[in-house]
Amino acid sequence: MSAPRLPGTASDPPGGSGLAWGGPARRPVRAGALVLLASALAGVVHAAPQNFAIDPDHTHVHWELKHFGTSTARGRFDAITGSITMDRTAHTGSASISIATAGVSTGFAPFDGVIRGPYLLATKEFPTAYFVANRFSFAGDALASVTGDFTLRGTSRTLTLRALRFSCRVDAEPAREVCGGDFETEFERSAFGITHSLPFVADKVRIVLQIEAVRQ
Amino acid sequence: MTKTLLATLLALGAVTAHAEIATYAVDPSHTAVTFEANHFGTSTLRGRFDKKEGSVVLDKAGKSGKADITIDTSSISTGVPALDTHLKSKDFFNAAEFGTVKFTADKFAFNGDKVNEVSGTLTILGKTQPVTLKATNFNCYINPMLKRETCGGDFETTITRSQYGMAYGLNYGLPDSIHMLIQIEAIKQ
Repeated sequence: MSAPRLPGTASDPPGGSGLAWGGPARRPVRAGALVLLASALAGVVHAAPQNFAIDPDHTHVHWELKHFGTSTARGRFDAITGSITMDRTAHTGSASISIATAGVSTGFAPFDGVIRGPYLLATKEFPTAYFVANRFSFAGDALASVTGDFTLRGTSRTLTLRALRFSCRVDAEPAREVCGGDFETEFERSAFGITHSLPFVADKVRIVLQIEAVRQ
Repeated sequence: MTKTLLATLLALGAVTAHAEIATYAVDPSHTAVTFEANHFGTSTLRGRFDKKEGSVVLDKAGKSGKADITIDTSSISTGVPALDTHLKSKDFFNAAEFGTVKFTADKFAFNGDKVNEVSGTLTILGKTQPVTLKATNFNCYINPMLKRETCGGDFETTITRSQYGMAYGLNYGLPDSIHMLIQIEAIKQ
C-alpha cells in the first residue's frame, strides 16, 4: 500500500492514470469476491479499534458563505492530513485532522490572497487548522456524528460534524478497506475572530467535508 | 446607518430596474460552476471550473430573460492534479477538442420578482441537451463598491453525463448522475 500523498506533489502520476477516480487498481471488487473478502476482513475488523489514514485524493474541506445575501461563495482546502481510529463494535473512535490554511482555493486567485492575509485566516501566523475529536456517535453500524475541538486562527471551539452519508467498502487491488463519507457543520466565523467583510459576507460558514480513509 | 443606506439604495435600484430591460455581465469573482459526483457510494467528489464568462439579459417587468454562459473545460479543478488531468482527457471532457461547455437559456420563470427557474440548453462534448436550472436563492442588490445593481443567486440541476456521450467508468460504478451547483452574480451594464 502506498503511503498517503499530499496533493500536488511530484508523486502524482503524469498523464491522468485514473488513479484518483479509482482506475483499474482501485475498482471495488465484484459482489462474489466482495463477500469473501469482506468476511475475511470482518474477522479482524470487529476485534479491536482499527486505524485509518486519510486518503488526500478523496478528502477535501469545502466551505460555503453567503455573499450579500444573494449567492453562495464556495472554496476548499486542498492539503488535509490526519488519522482516525474507530471501533465499529464498541462504537467509539477518535480523529486528528490537520488542514494547511494556505491550501485555500476559491478558483479566483485574488480572493485566495485576501483569505490568506492578516484580516482573514492569517496563514503565516496560523498555518494549520485542527480538528481533534474523540466523541463518535453511531446510528446502528454507521457513523452518525463526530464531536471535537476545532482550532482556527488560534481559537478553539467545540464542533459537531454530522454525517450526510457514511459507509465502508472493500477495494480489490490492493485489498483494503476504505471508510468515509460526507459530513457537514456550521459555525460563525466571528467566534474565531474572523470578522472582516461582515455583514456583506455572512458570518455563518457551512462546511462540507468529503473524507475517505484507508484502514492500516 | 450602513444598513439604512443600503436599504435606500436597494429601494432606488428596485424602482429604476423595473422600468427597463437590462443587460448584466457575469462577475467571474462571484460566479462558479461546481459539480458533485458520488465516489463508489462512499463520499462526494466536488470539482469546479475556474474560467467562465457570459452575459444575462433580464426584463424584470416583462418577466423574461436570456443567458449565455461559456465555461472553459481546461480550467477544471478538483484539488487533485492527477484527477484534473484525467478529467480533461478524452475519457471525460476531451478539453483539447472541446474547449468549452456552453449554457444558453431563453426561458426565465419568476416567482413574484424573483427568478426561480431558467431553462435552455447545455452543450458538452459538442452534444446539446435541454436543461433546467432551479434557483435556491435569487436577489438583486446595489453593490456599494461598484455602485451598480448586481443580480444573482444559486441554481442547481442534475445532468446525466452519458446523454452527452461521457460514459467513462459507468461499467465499474462511477456515477452517471452529476449534480451541478451554480453560483452566479452579474453586474448591470
